Amino acid sequence: MLTFIIKRIVSGITVLIAISCATFFLLYYSGSNIARNILGEYATPDQIVAKEHELGLDRPIIVQFGEWATRAVSGNLGISWFTSQGVAESLLTRLPVTLTLLIVAIICIATFATVIGIAAAVKRGWIDRVVQVGAVLGEAIPSFVLGIIFVTIFAINLGWFPATSSIQPGSTGSAWVLSLALPAIALVVNGLTSTAQQIRSAVIAQLEKDYVRTLRSRGIPETIVLFKHVLRSAAPAGLTVLSLHFIGMLGGVVIIEQIFALPGMGALAVQSTVLGDTPLVMGVVIYTVIIVIIVNLLVDLANGWLNPKVRVS
Amino acid sequence: MKFRPLVVSAAVVAAASLALTGCSGSAAGSGSGSAPTTLTLGVLQNINSFDPAQAHLGHQMQIYQAAYDTLILRESDGTLSPMLATEWKYNDDNTVLTVDLRDDVTFTDGATFDAKAAKANLDHFTEANGPDANQGQSIESVDVVDDDTIDINLSEPDPAMLYYLSQAAGFMGSPDAIGTDGVKTDPVGSGPYVLDKEASVNGSQFTFTKNDDYWNPDLQKYDKVVFKVLTDVTARVNAVVSGQVDATLLDPKTSKQADKKGLKKTSYPVDWQGFLLFDRGGEIAPQLKDVRVRKAINYAFDRQTMLDEALLGEGEITSQVFGKTTDAYIPELDDAYTYDPEKAKDLLAEAGYPDGFTLKMPMPDGTETFMAMAKQQLADVGITVEYSSATFADYVPNIIQGKYSVAWFSIFQGEPWVAIRQMISTDAAYNPFKTTDDEIAGYIDAVHFGGYKSGELAKKVNQYVVDNAWFAPWYRVNQLYYSDDSKVTVEPQIQQAVPNLYNYAPVS
Repeated sequence: MLTFIIKRIVSGITVLIAISCATFFLLYYSGSNIARNILGEYATPDQIVAKEHELGLDRPIIVQFGEWATRAVSGNLGISWFTSQGVAESLLTRLPVTLTLLIVAIICIATFATVIGIAAAVKRGWIDRVVQVGAVLGEAIPSFVLGIIFVTIFAINLGWFPATSSIQPGSTGSAWVLSLALPAIALVVNGLTSTAQQIRSAVIAQLEKDYVRTLRSRGIPETIVLFKHVLRSAAPAGLTVLSLHFIGMLGGVVIIEQIFALPGMGALAVQSTVLGDTPLVMGVVIYTVIIVIIVNLLVDLANGWLNPKVRVS
Repeated sequence: MKFRPLVVSAAVVAAASLALTGCSGSAAGSGSGSAPTTLTLGVLQNINSFDPAQAHLGHQMQIYQAAYDTLILRESDGTLSPMLATEWKYNDDNTVLTVDLRDDVTFTDGATFDAKAAKANLDHFTEANGPDANQGQSIESVDVVDDDTIDINLSEPDPAMLYYLSQAAGFMGSPDAIGTDGVKTDPVGSGPYVLDKEASVNGSQFTFTKNDDYWNPDLQKYDKVVFKVLTDVTARVNAVVSGQVDATLLDPKTSKQADKKGLKKTSYPVDWQGFLLFDRGGEIAPQLKDVRVRKAINYAFDRQTMLDEALLGEGEITSQVFGKTTDAYIPELDDAYTYDPEKAKDLLAEAGYPDGFTLKMPMPDGTETFMAMAKQQLADVGITVEYSSATFADYVPNIIQGKYSVAWFSIFQGEPWVAIRQMISTDAAYNPFKTTDDEIAGYIDAVHFGGYKSGELAKKVNQYVVDNAWFAPWYRVNQLYYSDDSKVTVEPQIQQAVPNLYNYAPVS
């Protein structure tokens, strides 16, 4: 098990390094006129040169990357070019918003999808058909479209929720709950039906296996067969889908956070990329990759825990 | 225990999310919104730095105005009133500006505002390489005359100097703080409000609370001012319609929702939009060298239809680039080039292009609607437009570097000298090919050295650039500022998309 974890961590670090390099070089060659963007349209050529020198943009890209990487390894992600704020500080104020949103959404998806998926597999009939159709619809409607619909109905017309975030440092718990409700529901609807569909298929596949027939023939109660044996064997498929959803939602929140003006990582990613704020974009990328690596590792561990066969392979 | 693994992992995740929620929720612990009067504004742009020398005009102005006072106060109608400066006077040749200062003002860190502090700020402004550094370009040096008087020595007369001192160049920060790293994220000024760092997230929200020692309580109408940074117009309209912000700037397409909700609309033209025919020397597009071609382009546009279609009629058609509220404005020039495709064709034929020609132009994202109309109308007179896509991040730099012969733009209509330095003089950003001749140079000089008469003298410049078709303006665009008039009264600010912070007052 330990070698397994170490291997995963090493490959995670490799991915992290590769993505950091790629992002840095892409930002550099995207040709944004950073100094001009910071100084605005009236800046003279002299001003631009001075600003580029101040930011170190007049040096070769290898030197710039080397300097950034050296600092990043020691935990210093630098200072945003456009907000003058420390990158780590910016990210740490925004990470809780995004993670809370994602974690709430993923818990809801996991819980409801399991219940619905099992119900569809066991009962079949109309529930099954609803899940099948729902899976197609749920995948087809992007979460940001749902977000816009929800804002119009529940925030503006009915006034039940704030239309834009009221999450800020110092805001109360209820502000968090109300602000996160609509974006979280938009994310949940999108992931719920397809996850339920996966769990349904996995459960059906298990129910057809010989060991189920054996258990049943020995007179073991149906609930124990279902929840102790079948679900445990079917869980890895569900977990994998959930982890894919989680990672997919990391992309989805980019637009969701813009719509709801949530002060999270996604909004920060958009703002900093549009401006070409290299230190901040790099920070967002690194944090996001680390989250993805951790999620994948956790899912692998959970799968191994649920199903010893995975550990061996 | 059946489902142990699942139950445990769910519990762990739930606990983690609660912990995350909990710690951020209680970290600052300042509580929310119990203050008697709070002004919440939806703003379009984040600010780069709270260092006053990095201040930027336009959408960012009001955030700086919360923290910093300017030397001169620009009233909503554009007149200049005393603020930190009580009086000012030019010498005979308009090269030395003597400014008397208040002697009862203290910065929030306890430093005193005096002549030395003012000099330190102006020196810092001219050296700090900020976005509006051009405002300080003509400042050669600043002399401390006595404790509350300074002389600003100009390298040459600057008809916009007093205006600049009401803008970015006029912001006064604590001499102990300006230029330090700390002031970039934590402003130290003498302004009506103080930043509450705990309740602010850079890029998302800035919360300011009342400065209890403020010298001019008349300007301080709220206990708390919150700026919500909402770069997305949909988020802005949602916020103002649902009452989360008291006022914000919208655009014609999104504003219908705010109209339905009965919010108060204030609309007045600030920018002009249209084509800038940069290449009047014919360096990239030789055809543009001929004034008849440039006039033909002007005659080709059906401005009223474009305004109605693209901006739902929110604006006024025009053929001049100077604003209605400035002394350079000439009413007749608004219809100097009325829609006349036949005349355009004749002019093109006279210039030697009876079969038209092809014009290459950039098309920035989001401008597709009216660019398509413009293309159609130019095609109607024989000019084929080939668009290449452009991102806004590179658009302005490319314009300034002279990569485009013609480009669409939306330009602020400022005071005449500001407008001339922006798009007409040879050092103007929007005159990338540095077009000039003796005639226009003479008119510009007259404005430059015209002292108090310079605004009026700019009429000649206006007439010249219209006669020579330097631009092809379409319309002045209305800025649609919406506010909830049951909570706040807002006085519009001349030539500014968003009002000064001083123009808001609670409804009693």
